[in-house]
Amino acid sequence: MATGEKKPATKKLEELGESMLSEVNNGESPTFETLLRSRGNILYDEAIGCLRLGNKMEQRTFLNVAQARKFMQTVAVAAKCKKFIEEESHTSIRGLFYQLKYSLGEEFDEELFSEQEESNPLIEDLEVALKLKREDLNLNTDRKGVVAGSVVLMDKFGGESTEIDCAKQGRSGWMVPSDVDNGMDFISVDADWVLVVEKDALWQRLNEDKFWKKENCVLITPKGQASRGCRRLIRKLANKKLPVIVFTDNDAWGWYIYWAIKTGSMNLAYLANDIATPEAKFIGMTMQDLKDYDFLNKLTIKAKDVDVKRAEELLSYPWISMHKPWVEELKTVIKTKRKIEQDALQGPRLSFVGEYLREKMAKKKFLP
Amino acid sequence: MADEMASQFREHSIAEFFKKNRQMLGFSGKIRSLTTLVHEYATNSLDACEEAGILPDIEVQIEQLDNGHIRITVEDNGPGIPKKLAGKALGQMLAGTKFHRYMQQRGQQGIGASGAGMFAQITTGRPVKFRTGTGDGKAFSADLKIDFKTNKPLLEEEEEKDSAYRGLWIQAEFAEVKYDKGEYSPFEYLKRTALANPHAQILFIEPTGERTLFPRASDLIPEKPVEIQPHPLGITTSDLVEFAHASKERKLSSFFVNTFSRFSQGKVQELKEALPEVSMDMPPDELQWEDAEKLVNAFKKLRWISPEMDALRPVGPEQVAKALKNIYNPEFMAVAERKPKVFRGGIPFMVEAAVAYGGNAGRRKADGSVGGDILRFANRVPLLFDAGGCAIIDAVKGMDWRRYDIRDFEKEPVSVFVNFVSVHVPYTGAGKQAIADEEEIVEEIRLAVMDACRDMQRYLHGKVREAGREAKKKAILKYVTQLAQDLPLLAGKGKPKEIEKKLLQMIENKYSQLTLDEAEEEAANGNGVKEEKPETGNGDEAKEE
Repeated sequence: MATGEKKPATKKLEELGESMLSEVNNGESPTFETLLRSRGNILYDEAIGCLRLGNKMEQRTFLNVAQARKFMQTVAVAAKCKKFIEEESHTSIRGLFYQLKYSLGEEFDEELFSEQEESNPLIEDLEVALKLKREDLNLNTDRKGVVAGSVVLMDKFGGESTEIDCAKQGRSGWMVPSDVDNGMDFISVDADWVLVVEKDALWQRLNEDKFWKKENCVLITPKGQASRGCRRLIRKLANKKLPVIVFTDNDAWGWYIYWAIKTGSMNLAYLANDIATPEAKFIGMTMQDLKDYDFLNKLTIKAKDVDVKRAEELLSYPWISMHKPWVEELKTVIKTKRKIEQDALQGPRLSFVGEYLREKMAKKKFLP
Repeated sequence: MADEMASQFREHSIAEFFKKNRQMLGFSGKIRSLTTLVHEYATNSLDACEEAGILPDIEVQIEQLDNGHIRITVEDNGPGIPKKLAGKALGQMLAGTKFHRYMQQRGQQGIGASGAGMFAQITTGRPVKFRTGTGDGKAFSADLKIDFKTNKPLLEEEEEKDSAYRGLWIQAEFAEVKYDKGEYSPFEYLKRTALANPHAQILFIEPTGERTLFPRASDLIPEKPVEIQPHPLGITTSDLVEFAHASKERKLSSFFVNTFSRFSQGKVQELKEALPEVSMDMPPDELQWEDAEKLVNAFKKLRWISPEMDALRPVGPEQVAKALKNIYNPEFMAVAERKPKVFRGGIPFMVEAAVAYGGNAGRRKADGSVGGDILRFANRVPLLFDAGGCAIIDAVKGMDWRRYDIRDFEKEPVSVFVNFVSVHVPYTGAGKQAIADEEEIVEEIRLAVMDACRDMQRYLHGKVREAGREAKKKAILKYVTQLAQDLPLLAGKGKPKEIEKKLLQMIENKYSQLTLDEAEEEAANGNGVKEEKPETGNGDEAKEE
């Protein structure tokens, strides 16, 4: 980063500080305003096809007993993040917590922060208020997700630039970092589409089968629920006009992974279209597969109570229940109390997974 | 119980009756017995002074003797007892005074000095020593014993000296009693007596030699109680039997007409019709318990003219306030003024209630903490025992104290004073330590206490708010330094010291004066901050302007 030039995050943090400072100079209580992140302020935006926050605001002011501590803490978090950015150092949200866990003074029996549960939501408050992601505040999240495919990236990190070719990562693939925006640029994307596979086991299967090479796709596994970085990477690839196809277990949990990638999740509704990929499509597995592939009927397993509950919950979300095929899928799970895992496709032969995907791709058997 | 009582009253000697039934008269338990003894002597002194228009000076000493006995010495500056009446007054049970004169007197509660003397004689065999003078130049002293069979006083060691002494000094030795400085002790009893009798000065000397003076708070001698005849509605079966047996009338009919108020010949006729099986010609001293019970029930069915109201003698709100201040020096107090009411369809009574908060108010518990205290009185006499089932306890405990900013009555320094004033106090038992929880009585006590509490609530509310403001201020102040450091870091400009100064000033402005909301709330309550009458409260701290 060139000296003298401030990062957008630094600028936004400073502006926040300046506005508070001018309030103090005017003899007013300094305030902090952000969108409310509670359930009541989360809505599904049909126009953009994802979950986002509504317009309800939350204001925090220092001269209010109920808000004073939280206000002071918010400023402390903001100031600390600004310092991280200036120093070009990163830490986790837990690391931030430990940086701010200290006593307010000998005469007070109180710490600036005493639980991480106190600092975590304040980070999200700042993300929302400043329209930034925590990665922009130099706060890392756990890395999760593996990529293979014709994508070349430039990773500028620790004063060094490293070129990463996701096509040359062997059996392990490239691990998606916490932050895929700052200091992370695409050099080239030569793949035609993106395949997101729920399970790492299936990713390894398809990698071994050279599926991504043969079909010229970017093969990604979020290893379960997709991390922020992984979702953001999928979004960025979709921005490159690559179709995104998702492949998960045939159960409510797997389907929810798809929906989180597609419309975003409740918890991250504030990131809205930054990490959601509304254009994503679902390839399987589905209950319809049981009709098309007879052998699967012998490989179903019993859905647990949590699976059924989860299915009922998904049915209650209007952005899901607006799709008829999904309502039928979910209702079938609730009715038959059966589910099928991706792994079952290895039943006839290990490479059948690839055949299954190719066939469905060819016939465009997708769910919305 | 009725049969038992009836047979008891057939006993020839009232002294024998006492011997067998002393627990009924308050002589049960070693601690309670001692307090009852002190009560008998102290109330005698107070009553005597009041009747003679003298400001009472009473000294009570309790000594622990080596032989395990306890010696009580009581001296007053009252009118004294003439020599020829002394033996009878101090040594004969039911000598008559209480039964021919019916007035709102403390002594109604007990069996008097003669009962105490009897207790001394039963437990230690020792005579009561006394000295008395009426101020006419002669003082008389003697040792007194009681003949249990004949209920007659026996005087020994009689001595008469020239002396201007006026008053009564009495000393007796007791066993089966115990001194314990707790909530049932003579100490607490005398403290409360002082509370309800601010015109009296009481000095108490404990067995340890510790002297406590409850100083006089007022020079106002209470008006003499008016002597009135008992009203038929206010009489219990045992009262009726006692009165009848003490009567010198020849027939029940004339006993009724001459003893009771509002009892005309016409009422005797009505009674005859209502209760033909009881002969109105019966000599009163032959009245048996069963018939007395029937008569009392029949009284309740007849219509009576109400008793006189002017016989009520309350302590008076100003006197109560003075006494509370004197004893508790509370942070705040309020006294309710209530008009007389009637119960049982015609018996007048009045409730005096007051609350004291802070200072020495409240009950000191064994663990050193302070809790709410209920000070019960009947005609100025402290009621220490038998709290369960007492109308005063029912009324006070039944209140929603949180409405008055007392979050937990058991944990706050609050004393509730209730004096039940009536010619006829409906006690629950012969021990006369609890007032019957009749609905009309409980309700009036409740209203009276609520009256007093309303003023206290205003005070406490202001106090709570003041404390709340202080707490709020402190809560925010903790964060000023940290914020003043972080803000310049975040903004990239500004000086911590200057920011800190400005923030402190803002907090000071906001929390050291009434906020707009609070000011409006005050305005809605009336004239801003409640002003207390100077004589009922030292509520300076309540003022916030």
